[in-house]
This record gives sequence, C-alpha cells and structure tokens, in this order.
Amino acid sequence: MTITVCIKWVLPNRDGDERFAGISLADQAAVETGLSVAEALNDTCTVVTVGPPAAEASLRDALACGAHDVVRIDGSADTDSAETARLLAEHCVHSRFIVCGDYSADRGSGSVPALIAARLERGQALGLIDVRIVGESLSVVRRLDGGRREKLSIVGPAVISVEGSVARLRRASLRATLAAGEAHINVITNDGSGALRRNPETVPPRPYRPRARVVPSPSGSSALDRVRQITDTSSSKGHGETVVLSPEDAASRILESLRAWGYLADSAT
Amino acid sequence: MMTSPTQHDADIIVVGAGPAGSCAAIAAARAGKSVILIERGPFPGSKNMYGGVVYPRILDELVPSWWETMPVQRWVVKRSTMLLSDSGALNIDFRANSWGAPPYNGATAYRPDFDNWLANHAVEAGARLVCSTTVTGLLRDSNGRIQGVSTDRPDGDLHAPIVIACDGVNSFLAKQSGLYPHTDASNFTLGVKETLALPKHVIDERFGVRDNLGVDIEILGGTSGVNGGGFIYTNLDTIALGVVLKLPKLAAQQKRPEQIIAELKRHPAIAPLIEGAEVKEYSAHVIPEAGLDMMPTMVADGMLVAGDAAAMCLAAGIWLEGVNFAMASGMYAGQAAAEAIAKNDVSSRGLSGYTDRLEKSFVLRDHRKLRKVPHLVLSDRVQHKYPAFVAGVVERVFRVDNPHPKPGVRRIVREERKKAGIGLLDLLRDGWTGMRGFG
Amino acid sequence: MSSTARIERDNAWPEISFEERIGTAEFRIHEKAHITVNGDSCRGCTTRECVVACPANLFVPTSDGGILFNYENCFECGTCYLVCNKEGAISWTYPEGGYGIVFHRT
Repeated sequence: MTITVCIKWVLPNRDGDERFAGISLADQAAVETGLSVAEALNDTCTVVTVGPPAAEASLRDALACGAHDVVRIDGSADTDSAETARLLAEHCVHSRFIVCGDYSADRGSGSVPALIAARLERGQALGLIDVRIVGESLSVVRRLDGGRREKLSIVGPAVISVEGSVARLRRASLRATLAAGEAHINVITNDGSGALRRNPETVPPRPYRPRARVVPSPSGSSALDRVRQITDTSSSKGHGETVVLSPEDAASRILESLRAWGYLADSAT
Repeated sequence: MMTSPTQHDADIIVVGAGPAGSCAAIAAARAGKSVILIERGPFPGSKNMYGGVVYPRILDELVPSWWETMPVQRWVVKRSTMLLSDSGALNIDFRANSWGAPPYNGATAYRPDFDNWLANHAVEAGARLVCSTTVTGLLRDSNGRIQGVSTDRPDGDLHAPIVIACDGVNSFLAKQSGLYPHTDASNFTLGVKETLALPKHVIDERFGVRDNLGVDIEILGGTSGVNGGGFIYTNLDTIALGVVLKLPKLAAQQKRPEQIIAELKRHPAIAPLIEGAEVKEYSAHVIPEAGLDMMPTMVADGMLVAGDAAAMCLAAGIWLEGVNFAMASGMYAGQAAAEAIAKNDVSSRGLSGYTDRLEKSFVLRDHRKLRKVPHLVLSDRVQHKYPAFVAGVVERVFRVDNPHPKPGVRRIVREERKKAGIGLLDLLRDGWTGMRGFG
Repeated sequence: MSSTARIERDNAWPEISFEERIGTAEFRIHEKAHITVNGDSCRGCTTRECVVACPANLFVPTSDGGILFNYENCFECGTCYLVCNKEGAISWTYPEGGYGIVFHRT
C-alpha cells in the first residue's frame, strides 16, 4: 500500500512559456504531506501527474525531494477533470492514501480528488487545513461553511486534498537534485483504447566519447608477424556480433554495448 | 605527507549560468571533462539584465551557425550616438544593412531567453545544470587549497579540483578568495531600464527599420546631472530604454533612478519615439564600469574568474559591450581548466593558460587599448559640459539669423566653449586623451 | 500659465506610480530576508545614500531618524551595500536559490 500524490503541472496563462510553468502551492503541500505520511508509516510515496513531457520537470523536483517513484501519464496540459481523474484513479488503485492539492496553479474547479474518490469508491476529506499523523491514521482538520472546522480521523484507504498552508515543501538536497536531473521517469501512454501501457526506458544520447581501448602487445615470433598482427585488417575481428534474444533482452544488450563503446553515459541510476 | 584525495563530484564546477558560465561549461564539457553548472535563479537568465545588444561573433567557435537558433529580437543595423543638451540633440547615425544578414554583427535579445538558450548548449555538451541553488562559499582543504563550493541546499557541498567563478558583478566568490580588491563604489554604475511595449509596426515606423532589423542608440547627457549615459534599443514589439548612473554621484544628487528615466523620457528628442508606450517590466542591475583598472586577479590555485565577476564589461562611450567579453572569457576559462585537469596541475601556474588566452585575444587587448576611456566618458566635463557645448555649436552653425550674416565657426566654438565654462587646455587635454584612448 | 501646461503634458503621457512600476517585475518572495539593515548604524547617518540610490526604493527613512527596510521587491543588484558608507550597516546576501527577482523581458 503506497501513498500516491497527484499533482498538476500548469503552463502560465499568458504566453505558455515552460520556464514559468510549475505546480500550485497546494500541490507542493500535497507532495510534502505525501512524503511525511510515507515516512511516518514506513511506506513508499509515488508522485503522479497527467501531462506533457515538459511536466516531468515537476516530477524531477518531487524525486529530488524524496519521492520513491514518479509517473507521468501522457496527456495534454488541458485534459479535462473527468478524464484526468479516470487516468489517475487507474494508477491509484492500490494506494492507502491519495493526496492532492485542493487547487491547481490554473485555479480549476478542484474536482479531480472528488472524482478519483468516486471512481475508486473511497472515503474523501477535501480542502484540509491541517494534517497530523497519529499512529497509523491521519488526524485532519477540514474547513466548513461559516468559519467552522471539522476534525476527522482517517484510517484509509482514502482521498484527501490539502490547502497550500498545510505544509511547506522541503528543500531538496543538492545530491538528490543532481541525481533527479538524470533519473529515468516512468511514462504511461494511453493507446487510444483506454488501456494504459508503461513505456520502456529511454536513454538520452551524449556526445561520442570513445573509451580508452587496451591493445595487447603483439606476440609473433618475427617482427613482420608482429607488425602484421597490429595492422592487418584481414585478421582483425571487427565489432560484429550476432545474438538471438527476446526484444526486451535485445534492447538491454544494445544499450549495454552502446555504453561500453562510449556512446552513452554509464548507467545513470 | 599527501592528504587523502577527496572524492570529486566533477572535474570542474562552474558557478553561474550566465554567458560566461555557460561558455565555460560548453568548452570544458567539449574537452571531455565532467562539469557541474550551478545557477541560483529558477532558470538561466532569470537574474540577468543588460542594456540590450549581444555581439555573438565569439560564438562561432562554440556554437557554429548560432544565428539560426539564437533567440533574437532584432538584428542591429543602425547605430546612433545621441548628444543631449536640455532641449537640443545631436544625432550621429550609422547604418549597415549587411549586419542584417548572415554572418550578422549584433542583435537585441532578452537575457532570460538568450542565457537560457546558451545554457541549453552547455547541457547538450554534457554539463550537468542545477538551478535554484545559491553558492554560499568556497570549500578549502586544511592547506587552504580550493576544493569546491558550498551551496544553500541540504547536503550541498560539491567537490572539484577547479571552480570557475562566473557569479556576476557582485562576485562573492572572487571577493571571498581575496582576488577582488576593487570594490569601491566609484568603479560601478547602476543600470535601470524600462521594457516599453509598442506595436511592432509603430516601432518600425518611428525607428526607420522593418522586419527583424533594429536600432541601437547610445545617449550622452540627459541623465539629470548624474554622471552616466542613456540607451534605447529596439526589440520586436518593445523598446528597452534606460540609464546608466555612476553610483557615488547618484547617491549625492538626491535624484532617484526612476526620476532620471522619467526626465529622459520627457526630453523632446526622446518623447516622440516612445509616446504611448506601456511599461512592461522595470529592471535594475549594477555594472562594473571601470574596465582594466578594477579587474581582479583572475587566476588562483584551483580557481578562475570570468565575465562580470572579473569586471569584463567594456563601457567606452561608443562601445558598450559585456556579453561578448563574458562569453569569450568563459570559453577561455573552460579551455584552460580542461587543460589543467589533463596535465594534472590545477595550481595557478597550471591554470595560467587562461590569462595567456585573455592577453592574446580581444578581451584584454581591447581593455588595454581603451583603458582610459571609461574614466574620460564618465568625467565631469564630458558629462556636464560637452553635450551642451557641442549642441550649442551645432545649433548656432545651423541657425539662420538673418539679417545677421553667418558667424565664423571658429568664433562660435570659442563663444560656446566659454559659455559652457570649458577651459581651452582642458578641451585639448580631453581631446588628446580621447584620441590616444580610442587609438 | 506654465503649471497648467505642465499638468497637460503629464496628462497626455502619465508617468506610472512607483507601485505600478515595481509591480511589472516578478518577485518570488522567500519568508526569510536576504538583506538585513542594522538600524543603530543608520541612526547616525546623515547622507542616506541608500534611500536615494536603491532602484527598488526599499529604504525608507523613519521619523525617529532610523531606516525602514523591506527586502521583498529587491532586484539583488548590490547598489545599497556599494553606496553605503557605514561599516556593518547592511549585511547582504543573495536570496535562497529559486527565490527573488525573476526577469522576463530584460
């Protein structure tokens, strides 16, 4: 049973410039809440978003802050609430707590958490202004009409959404930030039929940096033999190698060779 | 006894992803070294502001055909120098339409765009960029040798044999390492600027340009009696208008920077250019203005200083350049650092390839040649007396004062010189300094 | 009448207020101040360079002879510590990474 945090990466309204994109304060508080709850309950924390590839920047931030896993469900930045909730819910089936921000950076309706709860038939406590961990359950405060407050104790599984004031997102360590910059992000695509498919690992190329190659000293009896051994192309083995493997294993084998030849960085994670 | 070698996080740490830092990172990463590039803003360029023109020729070495991808506002094809008196203006224009085609000359660009673009090249070259991280100091081993930097993130120490400080005009790293003694306010100017929005066709009409061609106007006078200067640059649908103000004079004059901008905007020669424009962004930055005389020591054991951190802005009247000096010095620092790693000598001697390159290139040669010019340009006479004097002379030369006959030019010059309170000897001396300085 | 003419000219092309001016720039404000001003040092200062020179107008003289300082809308330019003549009056650092001024079109 993991803790899943759902965030929404939002482009700024005016120019749609990715440099100014990000997640809301409430979503940041959700990430912090998810991380603290996971730590207290000795559980794992997964951060999920529905968005385009650029949204991975926010997932990397979450990874740097200590999320155990991050997942991007491929979708456009303006996927509607019902569809977003459907995609997220499918990914949250096994979660003990699903934590959301109570509003996104583009100030939507805040309905996604409720829709997730409905789909999964879970209890919900939305618009929380305080979250404490008491033993195995959560003690939370919810804002009601007329300035009143409601105190709840939540055992889970349940969906909660938090206001931005609930927690301040921790500052990621430098090492974790550097590692997150190169980490592999799980991407799930919707193939049109509604089914979700996890994409294979992709590895970014880098400028070709050939590895130093050890050339053994030639071992012929005469000088001519030794010279021939180094220079003669007819006797050299070349790179070719034929193996028969399953597609997955073949892909790994190719990556391994590319690494060995210096086309890819050493295993990033 | 040798101390046990520290575990290094990279070969080279570059502090600051501005033009100097990104070029240092590109050069070092291309030479096969592992580089970490640290930026305190949320993205490269987010803390950076300037007058407005980049001269990217030096990028030919690092980013071939840079003009095809660089985020340009307009290619500068017209340069004007404007002398402002209280109500008059003398304008000297030069136009070269060839600057509007490859391989180009200079361009206006927004720094948050340009710097971000350049930093992406560093990442593509293999440097690891980490943003939103402020470097707080240098790490040293027990012998005082620089070992890396500390940052404001948890677990934030980074170790590397070489640190390249490209941390801008306030360079705390250069100051902390004792390389930067010239921190007197008189070496600095404050630049304040408004980004003013106007429709593109209005800018085209008012400045006599079209398509993506633009104008660069340097202004002498018009800064309300505070030593400095002004500038106007055309972007695609905005105008960058600002003033550069000598710090001690600004503090003494009891006039605030935005008032000085407002007065410049009201000048009869400027007002029609910007009429109806809306302020889109107000910005400010300090400029190292004193050139060679304020430059720090640029090499120490395990450390190099480049860009504004090394006071590389060239503020020599008709030439106002900085980004090109930053890019070149950064590139040379990156190359020299990679060399030092390769030959396993990161002492100041091992890193001396940096100063060799600076001395051989335009970076220090221009600064040496124009050493006296920044002082001359900001001197009281050039600032307060010459603009009115020159404008007065030209006004009388062109004034038709019939029925009086035209006076001789020599007489006008003598009378206007006296009216402006300029001694003949001073004029000759400044002329001589200028001639020698601009050589 | 020159004063009327002046007003007309101002109306034809109104200057914006300082609040509007500073409002055009984006500041991501951190809860902790990155610059602190030691009011005791300022009390004896007659020249008040910072009040005039700070482009963000963050230094405000108080009636009791001190200086009120706000760090929120700071350009991080360095002008204040460069012009200040009182040793130790201004302690200056950059804000935490990711916070402070964020330029868009400069």
